Amino acid sequence: MKNPDLVRDVLGISLEPERVEENLAAYADILQEIAKLRTLDLSDVNPAVTFSPIVAAKGTVNE
Amino acid sequence: MSEQPLWSLPIERMAPEIQSSRLSPVEIIDSLLERIDKYDGEIKSFVCLAPNARAQAEAAAAEIAAGNYKGPLHGIPIAVKDNYFTADMPTRAGTQAAVEYPKTDSTCVAKLREAGAIILGKTNMHEFAWGNETPPTRNPWDTERVPGGSSGGSGAAIAAGFVPAALGSDTGGSIRIPASLCGTVGMKPTYGLVGRSGIVPHSWSLDHAGPLAATVADAAFITEALVGHDANDPGSVDRGKPDFASVLGASVEGMRIGICRNHFFDALATDVGEKVEKAISQLSKLGGKVVEFEIPNLKYGLAAIYAIELASSTAWHDPSLAAGMTADYQSDVRTLVEIGRFVTAPDYLKAEQLRRVLMEDFARAFSDIDVVVGPTLPLTAWRIGERSVRIGDADESVLAASWRLTYPWNLIGVPALSIPCGIDSRGLPIGLQFAAPPFKEVDLFRLAYAYEATQDWKGVRAPFKV
Repeated sequence: MKNPDLVRDVLGISLEPERVEENLAAYADILQEIAKLRTLDLSDVNPAVTFSPIVAAKGTVNE
Repeated sequence: MSEQPLWSLPIERMAPEIQSSRLSPVEIIDSLLERIDKYDGEIKSFVCLAPNARAQAEAAAAEIAAGNYKGPLHGIPIAVKDNYFTADMPTRAGTQAAVEYPKTDSTCVAKLREAGAIILGKTNMHEFAWGNETPPTRNPWDTERVPGGSSGGSGAAIAAGFVPAALGSDTGGSIRIPASLCGTVGMKPTYGLVGRSGIVPHSWSLDHAGPLAATVADAAFITEALVGHDANDPGSVDRGKPDFASVLGASVEGMRIGICRNHFFDALATDVGEKVEKAISQLSKLGGKVVEFEIPNLKYGLAAIYAIELASSTAWHDPSLAAGMTADYQSDVRTLVEIGRFVTAPDYLKAEQLRRVLMEDFARAFSDIDVVVGPTLPLTAWRIGERSVRIGDADESVLAASWRLTYPWNLIGVPALSIPCGIDSRGLPIGLQFAAPPFKEVDLFRLAYAYEATQDWKGVRAPFKV
């Protein structure tokens, strides 16, 4: 893909530009909170949701 | 039995009467259906009534008469939130968009039926469980105000005396918020304890299933019936069959009551702060030992729940987004579903890391504490259409205020219960929230039952007039 579009291709948003602007405005307060989270150095912390190679087939009990 | 109207009886009062055949499930269902017919046009708590509700009651009555009494839920009408699949009623998850869900019983509904409950109907919810107001449902304590959400129909139906209990779901507080605003008990069990297969997902690692009920004992009976391994829910755990009923009435002498003074006591409406402090004093009088503590990392919690809930919800709605169907959603929900695309993968993972930090912080705190106590919400029910509220000296959006004190317990997955602790100066209920370490539901029920027994509002319904 040559010169991908940030909104359409990278973020996968296929909305009219006006709608994207409205959504960005709605996201502003949340982004302010997320900016605080970004200041934390958590590189030594495993995420709470971690991968496990064990999976139960549907209808069975995970051992 | 007293002359108290049938519609106002909690399960704990109905069950012994049903067991001894002094009260028929048919009498109860007739009483409730009559009340719903009379008043739900105003409250708008139900979206669907089971066409076979009376037939279910007749079948339960026949089973009991034949000596096959199944336990405290046998013959008891219970409503379910509209995101639980049901075999005999459609599921809409609160949306008018063109979606279809299977007509089969969710695990929780199947368990209630096994316990002998009558599934009375489906309650209204905030669309796709993404909001805390549940339009067009009205709060029976003041019909100009919201019932909360997203399980607002369940809270309103109980408060109005349409049903003694109802199922809700809770991703950031959606059981406890309407419980608090409608003056009922609301229970969010430990993540994984109650199976969620057959519930329309909202955010996989935050979603919990549980009951709203008129009393603590009623909530305990229902939670006990719902617990069990669910092979179709990857988050489900097998902890065996619990016995919550046996701790009801047990002494709470010596229980360690944790008060997290930061976050949970920031910016409270005056009446809320006063009633909660009074409740803490009452718990102390009952023999609880109060321990104060702080969790500074809670200041990052809002970012974490937003990142996880937005990203997860958007991932689930992705096919609808791609098909342009979100234009048919309500505008607030459409916006939330669309803006989830802005959450980057590193932000999402950092939220999951912060979650781990909070789990460890609280695990340390819980080594000295049995139950954390605080307000469920910093405010009482707000007016329909009100977008921000003044709490103390500051304005705060109702969305931000409404889940500020509930979402931490979804982030760390521990059990949390809301119970009424009084009425504010406008006559609106105030909620008190208890939380315990993972799988310590027994301690929540034990303490909440002891507290409830000291209050004169136990099981009270809204004094609404239409």
